[in-house]
Amino acid sequence: MHTRGRGKTMMKNRLITLLASILLGAAGCGGGSSDTPAPPPAPPPITKAEAFQFLNQASFGATEAEADRLIGMRYDAWIDAQLRAPTSRQLPHMLSLPPPQFMGQLHVDRVDIWFRNSLLGEDQLRQRVAFALSEIMVVSQLGALQGRPFAVADYYDLLARNAFGNYRDLIEEVTLHPAMGVYLSMLGNERPNPTLNIRPDENYARELMQLFSIGLVELNIDGTVRLGADNQPVPTYDQEIIEGFAHVFTGWTWANSPTFGSDRVPVTSQYTPMELWPDYHDTGPKQLLNGVVLPAGQSGTQDLADALDNIFNHPNVGPFMAIRLIQRLTTSNPSPAYVRRVAEVFNNNGNGVRGDLGAVVRAILLDPEAVPSPASDVDGKLKEPLLRLTQLFRAYDATSNSGRYPLAAAYIIFGQGPLQSPSVFNFFSPFYAPPGEIRDAEMVAPELEIATEYQNTFITNYMLLQTFGLNHTNPDLQDDDIFIDIQEEMDLATDINGLIDRVAGKLLGGEISDTLRTEIAGMLERLPETDATLRAAETIYLIVTSPEYAYQR
Amino acid sequence: MKTLNRRDFLRTSGAAALFAATPGLAYSQVVGGPGPFTDYKALVCVFLFGGNDSYNMLVPYTTAEYNAYAASRQNLALLHTDLLPIAPASSAGEDFGLHPAMAATQSLFNAGNAAFVTNVGPLVEPTTRDQYFNGSVTLPPQLFSHNDQQDQWASLRGNVPSKTGWAGRIADLIRSGVAEQQMATNASLFGTNLFQSADETVAYVMGPNGPLQFEGFSTTPGGILYEQRQAFLRIVNETYDSIYERGFAEVQRRAIDAADTVSAAIENAPPLSTAFPQSQLGTQLQTVARLIASRDDLQMQRQVFFVATGGFDSHDDQNENQPGLLGGVSDAIAAFYDATVELGIQDSVTTFTQSDFGRTLTSNGDGTDHAWGGNQLVVGGAVAGGDLYGSYPLLEIGGPEDVGGGRMIPSTSADQYAATLARWFGIPDADLDVVAPNLGNFAQRDLGFMLP
Repeated sequence: MHTRGRGKTMMKNRLITLLASILLGAAGCGGGSSDTPAPPPAPPPITKAEAFQFLNQASFGATEAEADRLIGMRYDAWIDAQLRAPTSRQLPHMLSLPPPQFMGQLHVDRVDIWFRNSLLGEDQLRQRVAFALSEIMVVSQLGALQGRPFAVADYYDLLARNAFGNYRDLIEEVTLHPAMGVYLSMLGNERPNPTLNIRPDENYARELMQLFSIGLVELNIDGTVRLGADNQPVPTYDQEIIEGFAHVFTGWTWANSPTFGSDRVPVTSQYTPMELWPDYHDTGPKQLLNGVVLPAGQSGTQDLADALDNIFNHPNVGPFMAIRLIQRLTTSNPSPAYVRRVAEVFNNNGNGVRGDLGAVVRAILLDPEAVPSPASDVDGKLKEPLLRLTQLFRAYDATSNSGRYPLAAAYIIFGQGPLQSPSVFNFFSPFYAPPGEIRDAEMVAPELEIATEYQNTFITNYMLLQTFGLNHTNPDLQDDDIFIDIQEEMDLATDINGLIDRVAGKLLGGEISDTLRTEIAGMLERLPETDATLRAAETIYLIVTSPEYAYQR
Repeated sequence: MKTLNRRDFLRTSGAAALFAATPGLAYSQVVGGPGPFTDYKALVCVFLFGGNDSYNMLVPYTTAEYNAYAASRQNLALLHTDLLPIAPASSAGEDFGLHPAMAATQSLFNAGNAAFVTNVGPLVEPTTRDQYFNGSVTLPPQLFSHNDQQDQWASLRGNVPSKTGWAGRIADLIRSGVAEQQMATNASLFGTNLFQSADETVAYVMGPNGPLQFEGFSTTPGGILYEQRQAFLRIVNETYDSIYERGFAEVQRRAIDAADTVSAAIENAPPLSTAFPQSQLGTQLQTVARLIASRDDLQMQRQVFFVATGGFDSHDDQNENQPGLLGGVSDAIAAFYDATVELGIQDSVTTFTQSDFGRTLTSNGDGTDHAWGGNQLVVGGAVAGGDLYGSYPLLEIGGPEDVGGGRMIPSTSADQYAATLARWFGIPDADLDVVAPNLGNFAQRDLGFMLP
């Protein structure tokens, strides 16, 4: 029932962009070659629907203004501009606030600045990738970090700062960040004390490998599971290797800590990398991946550098990160060929550099498979619930009279909030397959894990409140109420088709199914022509709760 | 005169034994499942996310065994004088002690309404320390990993990847017998989970306080809110092009279908006077009690509830956090038991714990790491309570069950634990191997902790 004819042109469009960038890159480093490649054929203009499709992958929600900009610039230039845009940060805002009654209060401000940056930041792609990384290298406000809001905010800034940087730098900064140190208990981890049966904490060692870098089993370059001689998956590590890494990660604690075990540290320690206390670092040999053993007697810093190099150079990292980032940005079920193309860019960005995340993001977004094929019903993905909200907010210039977005209960209402995961395993599993046709087809739909009857009802009810209650016509808005501006729609209240077109234009890139249009029109006819607010709210409500809005093409 | 139907024929012809010997073939799928039932039964799974350090929940109390425990656990050992002693029926006296925060559980145990299953965990087949190290047995893969061992508890499929859980398979087995039920057999108050995932039936996920109703919808014809609901239903009933839209629309459909029925039933049920702790777990169990109170309205015969609480991954600050964690579980489960007594249904409701894994006996300084076997609590009027089931290992580093750092090899499998509960629930013996696929690898099909 959807118009998918556009698919083929769009795929060609992005493929041309990708080809052009490869050709230009080759010309750039080829140096002395006198062969000038033929100029690529002039691509067809980007349509509004294509622009929406791309921007829902690359930002916190397509808007008509950004779509116009993209159409004018084309994909590559848009990405270039995004790579250059200054980074929106959370910590400076947090530090500018008056001291709170208790630290945990500041998480409201942290969520507020997350919304401001995500909705209004010029660095949309960077923030979107940071959000993706925050669901891969997870720390959460819920738990031990409740009293450390500056650490959590600075951790997000770390992800944003490294979103287009090198993965090796990223994992080092993640490893030494006190938020991660607290969350996965590397902070304060000591060398063994055999007489007291004390051995190093294995928490960070395990999750760094399982969730942040290589996963449990060996992968081929295309992300498929490699089978051993016995036709079984080959584990990437065993308990001995976990213990090896656990010994590597000993000796680190808060910066400027009075003692190794103290938690009484200045606020600045929350956003300063952890420091090594050599006496607490284990000096024995350490078993790492792929048969590497670190020699005894190395410094904690050297052990750390060698261990992170060991992980960074594991062949799994490319396909592992390719799948994780593709799933967050473009599709739940990438083909092996798509994974391979992206993993190859991870392994070598074209200039011999491994781990260039900016190049990886570009490869993900410009891949032909990032555009759903009309012939496939598994391309694309379900939008994350929080992204359904941010897209609405961006399309309708949502704000509050205080200018704040203190939606700290996002994780309760939407089942998802910024750095509000219930555990290091994120809000949903990359492997989740709901019963029924998706599981039967051996496909996955990670976001459906939290699309429960309960959560969907919660979100649907919130959308009712947001559209009918929290709009600019409400005279009783509180200072912190986030409201949407529906004036343009109200002006079209007597023109049912015009009204539907306007909302579909803002939220669906102009493409709306016949069913949805018919149902909205039927409801609008029942609402008084004179009540412009009701008619406008009804139209937006039925679109933002619809399956087609929930689908990210 | 009663005519012998196909099911009766198969049941009386010795076919059951044939099916029992044929792994993967469900007796009930061929002859029609058990039921319709003439009684009501509920299983309530309390999942302790993160891996409960259950060797500090149930602790040896006799001198030599306590000393071994204290030597292994060092700074994480509970003081002998702080333990709440219990005298299991099958032992000589006060041989074990409970964590001091678990006084409510001590009372339930002493009254015969609580039992522990000891050193239980995911296994494919019986496993010794030597076999573990020389690789002569099949082990569950990715031991000591949170999600893998959670999945193994849920699926009981050992090294075979599985998309269904044992409660899901129970629901599939009995589905024809409970066709009149107004709500799914499986209900979760803590989100989607593999435990209740099935091929033929779908678990219903509600919130900690029960289902949410859709605002702005009415089921009474005539008004605009009725039209709103109808329009919404038509939109989600549309056929969509992508699997993601179809999956999303299906959840919306189920949500609308169930919300009104279940909410109304809960509201119609008489109020409960039992007080519950104001905790995440207390709230969920209170809601379960209210749902059980409304079972007749919903024509429920068999229910499996999934409730959960987290925070058990005590890598850090274990001594500070454990009293609150274990006390919270103990108080919430005891309140829930009291509520079933108030409803007069305590003999038909069995509450049991599961958790990712037990934790290392050794300390990492101020906490513990991921391990394997652990102890689980079972509560209810149908429990053969006041006793311990399975064998309790000597808590010694390097001992016969330790694979390193005080990670204990389970001596009882999660399959046996599940099968014992499933049998009580009404699953015929021949189908227990569908519920617990590796049950046949273990000698004891029934651990005996449920009264017949």
